[in-house]
Amino acid sequence: MSALSSRDVLRPGPKGIKAWIQRLVFAAMPWFFSLLRRVKPVAKLSGMVLTSRYDDVREVFATDAAFGVVYKPKLDVIMGGQPFFLGMHDTPQYHADVAAMRKVVLPADLPMLAVQTEALAATIVDRAPGRIDVVDTLVRRVTFTVLSDYLGVPEPAGGDLRVWATRLFEFQFADGGNDPKLRADVDEIAPALRAHIQDEIDRRRADPGKDDVLARSLAMQAAGEPGYSDDQIRTSLMGFIVGGPPQPPMVVPQAMEQLLRRPAALAEAQAAARAGDDERLRRYVYEAMRFDPLAPGLPREVLTDWTIAKGTRHATTIPKGATVLAAFASAMMDPRRVANPRVFDPDRPASDYIHFGYGLHECFGRHINHATLHLMLKPLLVRPNLRRAAGAEGRLSKNGAFAERLVVEFD
Amino acid sequence: MRQTTLSVALEVKPESYDHLSGLLDGLRDRRSRDPSGGKGPFADFLNLVPALHFLSLSVFPGFDYDPLFVIEANFDGRPGPFWNQLESAIGPDLRTMLRCCKRPLDNDGPLFDSITALDARAPIAPYLEARTLTPSVYHHGNRGMPRDRILAEGKLFLASRDELVSANVDGPNPYRRLSPVEIHARLRAALVPAFPWLEQPAPQRITLLENIGDWLRLIAFVLGTVLVLTIPGLILSLALPWERYLILLGVSFVIFALLLKKIGVALPGTAIQTSFSFLKLFVRLALPLVLFLLLYVLVAAAVLVPLALLLAGQSLDAAWYGMLVWLGWGLLSLPVMLAGLILWLRTLERGDSAQDAPPVDPRMLREMARREDWIPQNHMGSVVLIKPGMLRAIIIRVGHFGLGLLLRIIARQGYLGSMRTIHFAHWARVNNGSRLMFFSNFDQAWESYLDDFIEKAHAGLTLAWSCGVGFPPTRFLVKDGASHGRQFKEWARHSMTVSRFWYSAYKDLTADQIERNFRIAIGLRKRTLTPKEAAAWILDL
Repeated sequence: MSALSSRDVLRPGPKGIKAWIQRLVFAAMPWFFSLLRRVKPVAKLSGMVLTSRYDDVREVFATDAAFGVVYKPKLDVIMGGQPFFLGMHDTPQYHADVAAMRKVVLPADLPMLAVQTEALAATIVDRAPGRIDVVDTLVRRVTFTVLSDYLGVPEPAGGDLRVWATRLFEFQFADGGNDPKLRADVDEIAPALRAHIQDEIDRRRADPGKDDVLARSLAMQAAGEPGYSDDQIRTSLMGFIVGGPPQPPMVVPQAMEQLLRRPAALAEAQAAARAGDDERLRRYVYEAMRFDPLAPGLPREVLTDWTIAKGTRHATTIPKGATVLAAFASAMMDPRRVANPRVFDPDRPASDYIHFGYGLHECFGRHINHATLHLMLKPLLVRPNLRRAAGAEGRLSKNGAFAERLVVEFD
Repeated sequence: MRQTTLSVALEVKPESYDHLSGLLDGLRDRRSRDPSGGKGPFADFLNLVPALHFLSLSVFPGFDYDPLFVIEANFDGRPGPFWNQLESAIGPDLRTMLRCCKRPLDNDGPLFDSITALDARAPIAPYLEARTLTPSVYHHGNRGMPRDRILAEGKLFLASRDELVSANVDGPNPYRRLSPVEIHARLRAALVPAFPWLEQPAPQRITLLENIGDWLRLIAFVLGTVLVLTIPGLILSLALPWERYLILLGVSFVIFALLLKKIGVALPGTAIQTSFSFLKLFVRLALPLVLFLLLYVLVAAAVLVPLALLLAGQSLDAAWYGMLVWLGWGLLSLPVMLAGLILWLRTLERGDSAQDAPPVDPRMLREMARREDWIPQNHMGSVVLIKPGMLRAIIIRVGHFGLGLLLRIIARQGYLGSMRTIHFAHWARVNNGSRLMFFSNFDQAWESYLDDFIEKAHAGLTLAWSCGVGFPPTRFLVKDGASHGRQFKEWARHSMTVSRFWYSAYKDLTADQIERNFRIAIGLRKRTLTPKEAAAWILDL
């Protein structure tokens, strides 16, 4: 089957002993990083420099003059050579492009997105027959439906936006081995998605339709505002679709799994959901995410020889050209800067969290996530007798970096 | 919950003193949320630092040293997470302030460079952590009360007042007809829905382990001090026949006593009448003292016998007997040693210079006054020079250490003796131990706070501060000194600087009110009270 018409959001994962080893590696990672934090905070390992302490991770993210993003080569494949701000260093174009998008992705939209997210999640849970897969049926559907509608990117004819975006996301962020099969899929999907969005731009130019990010961008274009050429609009929308919706189906089920492992915290989160205390609920979800965030860390390319943690006992000079992994999952567990990191504490200060990165390339959609992630679980949490489904499907399974399945039951 | 008091004292480039003061004023003004729109006195934005109780940022000018920028912080938990929270709240401001400071000449220089270089992005928490000073003495008024608990119990108190006042507003107040036990039951029933934590057992303010640790540390300190003071006697007893040893001790003691009698009286015009008497104290403590010395002999013998066994190869019985006898001989020298030290101290005290009218910059005084008395709490920061000499160096270290350990035992639940006005206070040595810094967050006006100290805790205050250059004349480390009220206040004012930036997490609560709220909450956490408990409990309502 062509990748374009595939309905399998995730590619087949490893089986047997390979899958077992992969699970083992993921399970051992927190202990491994805990050891690194203690004995070798800046460690060179198989061609990559690992930074595991809170201070060092923050320094890597914050010092964008020395630690640049590594995304450009693959972004060029996805975007057909058009520059997208995620792949740029701290340049005037970066700031111009981000500023342009901030004029059409507005803070005032957040309440509306929150309402839509909660309503759709409630509808899905209400229709479920007492059991639901949190990954695909709930979070992925909610995320792609709400965000594609908000951005103005409809479902492609004969294709599945969830498949296309997730496949491109995997290529961009989770394909360390540069899998040729995945690249073949990308070579089909990327041009198709570009063409699909361009078609939509052309269609909406003639018929503006409802108010969404695309409509606002076209209005800016019509008004002669710089930063809204067809190429720029298409690239930004594509960047948002590829970089945005594939992430909540990873991280929100992981948070649900963490809550299910802690009955007391789950009960408190349920109480917050039932009381309609969304801010309290968000705190529980964010804290749960701290125990299993999106990824162990984010890579950065060293642009100039740089001494990290200068003046401390573990100061290390990293040469230009090296790749650094800023392990934010480890940073959020660093007892040097995070109080009682092993304790589930929903009342943590915001500074304890680096869920969305830090500094120049802090997630563009963090405010949308802030407003919506917890609401995807809210309709589930208000249900009585929420529990894991029996057997393996009741425990979160992963396919590589992706959450694959977590089935819960309720009355 | 562990509470931490610390400070960071950084030398400032002299040319940056005014700029740094301006930055602090700017921080204070800019972040104020005064509803009137004016420049309010408080920095509410630090509510975002959940661990914090009190924070102050000050710059001390001075003729003897370059200016000193001091961050004083009192918070819950360990320092690492706190510095991170503070950096998240005011990191860019702090970085700009640190750029006004001098580069350390020691190993922290490269760390300083990394955070202050042009366009530096490195976190500043490691530098602040590296430059943190441990207090030589500290006092936590409401010990064991985390900020969240203080705030929660403060809300509970207000809710209880509302309930008591507003129950049946149109008719007679039903609470007036109830017995204390019934008042407790009714009030509890009314408050539990809004304060579900009342159903949970109260967290211990001071855990058993902490309590044992406090006592063990104090006992170990006193035993160690006695051992150290008897070391000359222990050595002499090995070198001299016992008869000559006794004669030497006796003659020395008589000489010291006679000299002390001669110079022990206050110098003209320096004596302050006080009810405190060393003799009365000695008589009161005679029995515990004897028991303590017996304990000392046993503990010291237990520690030293294995050493004796190893070195001398004696049998266990012989080693024990020999050690007890030896320690006993050493103990006999203790009064002589103390008399000698007191004589030395008294000699120094007679020669000390005390400032009668320390100069106070009128502009600084106005600034200080302008920032005081906005809320029930106030803040003071002071730096003084430490008197030179070996004995002073020992006294300030050992005295402060012992005083700190003693405070952990005697000052619990909000009160320091009969004083109920101190939230957090601490002393620390700065400039390589040549200056003594004091910070206090207290209730009521500065004048009344010092009056309180002068009246009720002058001995402890004199002990802690008498090593300061210019301190009013003292006698035997604890007498007179701070009892010279006017002179002491002038000296204290002279050593103070403006609290340019100051934050309190609960600015409406006095230390006493926090304890009152605590007692009310403890009562409400109990499902029932006995009539006697209830009668005592309602006194706080």
